[in-house]
Amino acid sequence: MTSNEILDLLLGTLRTTGVWNFQFNIIVMWAIGCLFIWLAIAKKYEPLLLLPIGFGIFIVNFPLVPMMGYTDGHPHLLEFFYHYGLEWEIIPCVIFLGLGAMTDFGPLIANPKVLIIGAGAQLGVFITFTGTVLAGFTLKEAASVGIIGGADGPTTVYLTQHLAPQLLGANALAAYSYMAMVPLIQPPIMRMMTNSKERLIKMRQLRPVSRQEKILFPLITAGIIALLVPSVIPLMGMFMLGNLMKESGVVARLSDSAQGALMNTVTIFLGISVGATMHADKFLSWKPLFIFGLGLVDFAVCTIGGIITVKIMNLFLKEKINPLIGAAGVSAVPMAARVVQMEGIKYDKTNHMLMHAVGPNLAGVIGSAAAAGMFIAMFD
Amino acid sequence: MKRLIVLIATLCFGLIGTAGAQPAHEDFLGLPVPDGKVQKRTDDRLEIISSMTHDQVLAYYQEKLEGEKDIKVRDWSDQSYVEDDSNRPWHSITIDKEYKDGTNIVIVRDNWTWIIGTLILRYIGVFVVLLVLLVGMTVSGKIISSRVEKAKAKK
Repeated sequence: MTSNEILDLLLGTLRTTGVWNFQFNIIVMWAIGCLFIWLAIAKKYEPLLLLPIGFGIFIVNFPLVPMMGYTDGHPHLLEFFYHYGLEWEIIPCVIFLGLGAMTDFGPLIANPKVLIIGAGAQLGVFITFTGTVLAGFTLKEAASVGIIGGADGPTTVYLTQHLAPQLLGANALAAYSYMAMVPLIQPPIMRMMTNSKERLIKMRQLRPVSRQEKILFPLITAGIIALLVPSVIPLMGMFMLGNLMKESGVVARLSDSAQGALMNTVTIFLGISVGATMHADKFLSWKPLFIFGLGLVDFAVCTIGGIITVKIMNLFLKEKINPLIGAAGVSAVPMAARVVQMEGIKYDKTNHMLMHAVGPNLAGVIGSAAAAGMFIAMFD
Repeated sequence: MKRLIVLIATLCFGLIGTAGAQPAHEDFLGLPVPDGKVQKRTDDRLEIISSMTHDQVLAYYQEKLEGEKDIKVRDWSDQSYVEDDSNRPWHSITIDKEYKDGTNIVIVRDNWTWIIGTLILRYIGVFVVLLVLLVGMTVSGKIISSRVEKAKAKK
């Protein structure tokens, strides 16, 4: 072998390495990925999602790695998960199946008027839409950014994939990050929007809910959503199926699988697929930063919307509702309800509002799905 | 002198007479416009009557907008509605299906009235959905609660 041939061989080998094809912008993405991994592990911020998302961001931002995209028509590993899980919109629906199997709708069934709070808390979604359009986003992009304030990860992923898949990474990251920061974001807003007299309002204990009501609830809800907002029935239908499996009591194995192994498996695929969409070439622009900033405003306005809704309802109700539970209309289940509980007992240690707050919290899930359905109908 | 006055008068009437029949401009808000008689033109709106049929006008725009993203064509009973869902300067093209001395085409600029209006309607729509659910749950809750109480009373 001549020296030139040896050099060519070495050079050829070197050219197939990531080092040879290195770009400096990927360092930023490594930092972002590691940041989210750190938030998940050290701060325990939504670790089930931020850990795989962070790792997905990290691993996909190396040169020449066959993780996303196609080679000879065959999808790479994460492209496979992304295509069949997210592009086909299966993962958000299966996650909702598991969530439904975990959820007890008793507090909502016992006090159905809190559904109005779930609707009122979607205010930020629509206001953010306006702000996003003003910033130069398209209408579809604006709708996908607006739904972040609904504080519902699967709904955000579902709507974004439907309307603006190019924003999936940024939107999902913003949604899950802010959901984890609910205990930081909401309390100052709750204190600002309520006075000391309102915070001390004590509500009557919720009535007991029969098993028959809990079984009928998912059927009624699925039917009404299917008639009024059919575009979100894949999400809400699975949510209600999961709940029906739980409440029926006769398919415990299915319910356990849905809320356990199935949900955990799908969560892994969701996180890593979302993270994998965030390659430096697509992510490093002003749009993701803007989405992050606006997502915070969105969350705040949704919280304000929920509290204002309660105050308006109190004008007409004999038995007043504590406005603090309006903050739980943001569907970060169950974190927002816990925040309400913690804020409530600061002012009165005997005022336990957790179960009262769970109602609007669950109403927010339905409300954000309804808002997503409205946006899909806008463009279909 | 008389001839001069007649000539000027003829010119004036001629100008007035042709004012409503200006040739169509080639472009409005970045959108090509087919030949036709301009009925109304402002910065925000263009209304023309084209000698083409509805299907021809629709085919014209489908050809011109081929490959463009975020364009939605809605087929309504009395008109076709081409809508922009991105951030182009124009918002919609309405093409009437009824042929009255021509096909009426209306091109409207992207405007905040439509955006805010549709947002308010959809926000109200969220309330409507949840209100219907509230009514459903309240009614079913009362029916089932009373049956459960009756069953307990019998026992």
